Amino acid sequence: MILLAMLAVPLAGALLLLVPGLRQNRLHGTVVSGITLILALAAALAFDHGNPRMQLEVDRAWAPAIGLRFHLGVDGISLPLVVLTALLTFLCFLYLLRHPAAGGASPALLTALLLVLEVGMLGTFVALDLVLFFVFFEVVLIPMYVVIAVWGGPGRRAAAYKFILYTLLGSGVLLVGLLLVGVNAGTLDMVELAARHGEGLSRGMQITAFLLIGLGLAVKAPMWPLHTWLPDAHTEAPTVGSVLLAGVLLKMGTYGLVRLALPLAPEGAEFWAPWLGLLAVIGIIYGALACLAQSDLKRMIAFSSVGHMGFVLLGIATLTPVGVNAALFGNIAHGLITGLLFFLAGAIKERYGTGDLDELGGGMLAKAPRLAAILTFACVASLGLPGLAGFWGEMLALLGAYQPGAGLPRETFVTFMVFGGLGAVLTAAYFLRMLAKITHGTPADGPVVAGVTRHEYAAWVPLITLTIVIGLWPKLILDLTSAPVRALLGGG
Amino acid sequence: MIALASLTVLSPFIAAVVGMLLGLRLSRLLETRGVPGHRVLRNGPAVIAVVASALATLFALIVAVTLWLDPGPREGTLTLIPTGTLPIAVGLQVDGLAAVVGLMVCCVALAVQVYSIAYLAEDPRYSSYAAFVSLFTSAMLLVVFAGDLLLLYVGWEVMGVCSYFLIGHHWEDRANSRAAVKAFLVTRTGDVGFLFGIFVLGVGAGTFQIDEVLRRVGDLPDTTVLAATLLLLAGVAGKSAQFPLHTWLPDAMAGPTPISALIHAATMVAAGIYVVARLYPAFLAAPTALAVLGVMAAISMLGAALAALAQSDLKRVLAYSTISQLAYMAAGLAVGTRSGAVFHLLTHGAFKALLFLAAGCVIYVTGSNLLRDYGGLREAMPITFWSMTIGFAALVGLPPVSGFFSKDAIIEAALHAESGIPGPVATIVYLTLLVTVAVTAAYATRAWLMTFFGTARTAFTPREAPRLMSWPVGILAVPTAILGFFGLGASELRPHLGSAALSLLLAGAGGYGAYAVWRRDPALDPARVLGPVRTTFERGFHVDDVYDRVVVAPVRALARAVVGVDDRVIDRAVESSAGVTRAFGGLLRRPQNGNPQTYLTGLLAGMAVIVLAVVIFV
Amino acid sequence: MHILYPLVVAALLFSIGVYGVLARRNAILVLMSVELMLNSVNLNLVTFDVWLRDRLHGGQVLTLFTIVIAAAEIGLGLAIVLLVFRNRESIDVDRLRALAESDAEPPADSVVERQGPAGQGDQVAVSSRRAPQ
Repeated sequence: MILLAMLAVPLAGALLLLVPGLRQNRLHGTVVSGITLILALAAALAFDHGNPRMQLEVDRAWAPAIGLRFHLGVDGISLPLVVLTALLTFLCFLYLLRHPAAGGASPALLTALLLVLEVGMLGTFVALDLVLFFVFFEVVLIPMYVVIAVWGGPGRRAAAYKFILYTLLGSGVLLVGLLLVGVNAGTLDMVELAARHGEGLSRGMQITAFLLIGLGLAVKAPMWPLHTWLPDAHTEAPTVGSVLLAGVLLKMGTYGLVRLALPLAPEGAEFWAPWLGLLAVIGIIYGALACLAQSDLKRMIAFSSVGHMGFVLLGIATLTPVGVNAALFGNIAHGLITGLLFFLAGAIKERYGTGDLDELGGGMLAKAPRLAAILTFACVASLGLPGLAGFWGEMLALLGAYQPGAGLPRETFVTFMVFGGLGAVLTAAYFLRMLAKITHGTPADGPVVAGVTRHEYAAWVPLITLTIVIGLWPKLILDLTSAPVRALLGGG
Repeated sequence: MIALASLTVLSPFIAAVVGMLLGLRLSRLLETRGVPGHRVLRNGPAVIAVVASALATLFALIVAVTLWLDPGPREGTLTLIPTGTLPIAVGLQVDGLAAVVGLMVCCVALAVQVYSIAYLAEDPRYSSYAAFVSLFTSAMLLVVFAGDLLLLYVGWEVMGVCSYFLIGHHWEDRANSRAAVKAFLVTRTGDVGFLFGIFVLGVGAGTFQIDEVLRRVGDLPDTTVLAATLLLLAGVAGKSAQFPLHTWLPDAMAGPTPISALIHAATMVAAGIYVVARLYPAFLAAPTALAVLGVMAAISMLGAALAALAQSDLKRVLAYSTISQLAYMAAGLAVGTRSGAVFHLLTHGAFKALLFLAAGCVIYVTGSNLLRDYGGLREAMPITFWSMTIGFAALVGLPPVSGFFSKDAIIEAALHAESGIPGPVATIVYLTLLVTVAVTAAYATRAWLMTFFGTARTAFTPREAPRLMSWPVGILAVPTAILGFFGLGASELRPHLGSAALSLLLAGAGGYGAYAVWRRDPALDPARVLGPVRTTFERGFHVDDVYDRVVVAPVRALARAVVGVDDRVIDRAVESSAGVTRAFGGLLRRPQNGNPQTYLTGLLAGMAVIVLAVVIFV
Repeated sequence: MHILYPLVVAALLFSIGVYGVLARRNAILVLMSVELMLNSVNLNLVTFDVWLRDRLHGGQVLTLFTIVIAAAEIGLGLAIVLLVFRNRESIDVDRLRALAESDAEPPADSVVERQGPAGQGDQVAVSSRRAPQ
């Protein structure tokens, strides 16, 4: 019931905005997302940590003629993502209270869109039926499109179009793959299909299914070379749009790979894993090199997402418990850290009026010391410093690549590991270059830069704290994910 | 015992967090409360940092004494982190090596914290500086006391980032910022190899816990151990500034002098040597790795010493000297004397920290880093002069100062190389050690003479440095002088007549050479006799330029190429899908020519085809 | 009389009708050819009605239907042709191409700015009210 309430509250909140009286209420979005966050935390508290099975399940018949059921549930894999989504949405609303998105349309519309987006994001992570998963997966596209197209930067129309058409194409391919599996296996239920580990599907069918599902999700992840929608979408989106896009939407792709592609078509996974690993590693190096040459702050952070997701995909490609653990950990870490980075980029753009590195000049540590300090912290966390959340995902992915799953070519994966390591060095290079460019040096004379406001602190401090806590105590996440991952991969 | 060790690690960490967040607030609180006494007692960040450092030193002392009375390694694990494969043990391990190095780290850190209060008295960012120094101390102690390889790695990297923040402390000057970035990137490149070495070793042994790994090293296949140790050497080369990853250390002198003393003399750079010493059984099982280490050490040793001879900045002389001395320790490990190398690590920690802090006093008083601006400081700065003399004596290896004992141990071991490395390598190492003794004496004498003797070459008020600075320097002179005698208990750490006489002879020759050139004209730089090779030595044999051309420039070009490919190739492909679709649509539009007769013709033709098909095939 | 005679005549009439519909340019001639096709169908219907000796005379009944529909259709058709002549001065079927897809590319700019199918395919003759004939 908690999950049903958690999905119903944002939906009701969005619909309530049709009531004229509530439309003027500035706190509506914050309150609704706050209630959702409380429900998500309640679900986390009600969760039995030792139990690797699905919990808090809701299972109702929806369209019996095609075997479609309204089946929701969480386990150790989806619970952290659910809490992350609820938290990020709430923080976005807190941020919007004081820093409304620039653009002509009404704030009530933005609130409604973000709430519908939240329903879609939360639903994707708790859905346990193939078509239901797809429905929620698609729900997020239109609101995000509208958010980018109406409140975005100068190139917003083209970026929004590219975003929605590209991801819709991926979704189409994904749907074909899901239906292929569902029809051939006779059931649409994810738990049932995962327990079967691909029995009943021929090897060729599994390979095709993994290819289709994988391609569809790879557009979302994003995997090189299907990543080109990301830099434009991130650069043009407003701050809250970028935060949710990077913080949650990208996770839907990799979560789908773990939840759908791996258990439903294990032989397909084994066949395609080296290719997935290759594209992941290319993404890591490519993303890092592209960042080195960027001159726009948001675009650079967008390419860094490509690199980080490359590590996540590499972890998945190893088909080992440690690799998938690394992927799930990396998901959470990236959501927290890159969410924070986009918040900061938005704050910088708001104060300086530009996101261009050359125009920003240097000396932010002198002009806006707190902002620069938090930016430094976020960059250091993002480059994978041990002791902060980003490290464990990357390190465990490399460890997984060193010892990939049975049936995978070891030398290939060790080569991937080496290039992944090089990618880590390049990541450090571009973040430090960016920090040196804007925070060091003496500032140019100019207007005084506003300090960090209370609402910004309220939005950022939870992310900073969680980054440090998870970095110092990775057990929090690894304890949750270890048992379900082992079950998912067919182990004991 | 483990609890004490964890407190040693944690107390600077807590101080770092508290100092960063609440340091200035504490200052205000102390001011308003009107705490009496020296101004320092009302300096919030200073109080937090020094108290924590002192506590850590106390704990480390108790640990060391307990281990001395009751030797034997102890270890304890707090919890295991499940990863899906080998778990990571959050635990510490204390043995003789760890205790004594930990004590050295704490003492030097305490001295540096006290010294920094005066050195950075006017600095507005002192609180973050003190916090980072505390964080760094905590990370180094974690490396020393870690019981698990990955926990060691965590401390290893945190040290690297603290080093970045501290070198770039005066970030207003872009040169400092560049130096910090360079330090971090060069060490990170080594750290990636280090991480892979940990993987190979840990996965091969089936555990990441250090004592277990060392126990199982004998059972591992040779290739695994060799691969692991070679990869670990990459990290050692980076952190301990050995060739080819040494280029960051001279530039890191851009940071404040106390940082150079702490990080780049006594602690962080010693971490690499410490790790090799800690994992020595694994290295002994792979003599090829030790041979590689020996060659690296030989190159670094002599190259850095020659470079130090030609530097005009006092701190850069000391930086290259550090590289050279670290190479001594590495050479010691390569030829099989672990205790000799660690002994030199301890004595070097003491005398190099001393030299750097004393250099800081000189820089503070004269306002310049350059040797040519000094001269005749002997009478005005007695404490600094005598301490620095003892320090230089230790560097050169003159009895009875500590450096003499530790150097002798290494040279003697090189003569009898028992680690299994090939003979020619051992010979090269031995000969290089001897030549470097002479060159070390030369550059040390040059620096000593140019700073303290002759007449002052620029205008400054000659006075002794403030007490908070000169006293730590003086106190550090004590262990520098007497530490050597602590090693007399072990046979390999006692001086051996043959090698002692030989090294004294060579040191005397080098020192006398420098003195003779100086005597001819005390106002000029003795390094002028190097003539045309001086520039090559001064630029560190142009290794930096090679890196710039071979690594940095191609990477930048590649980055630009990638952005170009992304825009013009991949994105063009995506956007051209719109054009392709439209073109295809255009093709399909052609039959719509508006003439109904054409449509009807098509209709009838199609109908005829269908009828024929039905009739023929059905 | 053998059934073949009327069938062949009907087929010939139909073919002539098809030729006329597809190849004649004058709209009235096209309509006439349509009538020819319809009447050939009528002939066919009556022929088969007689040959099969249909008790309900379905063929002949359908023929009556066809005649009525043909009459209605020719009325409308001729009215349309008359109006077209009044507006465009010509009833040349080849020249009535207003619904054609043009070759002009929509502007290569962003998708947003795209207009409907640009341009008219054919020049529209200036209409002038002409008195009906």
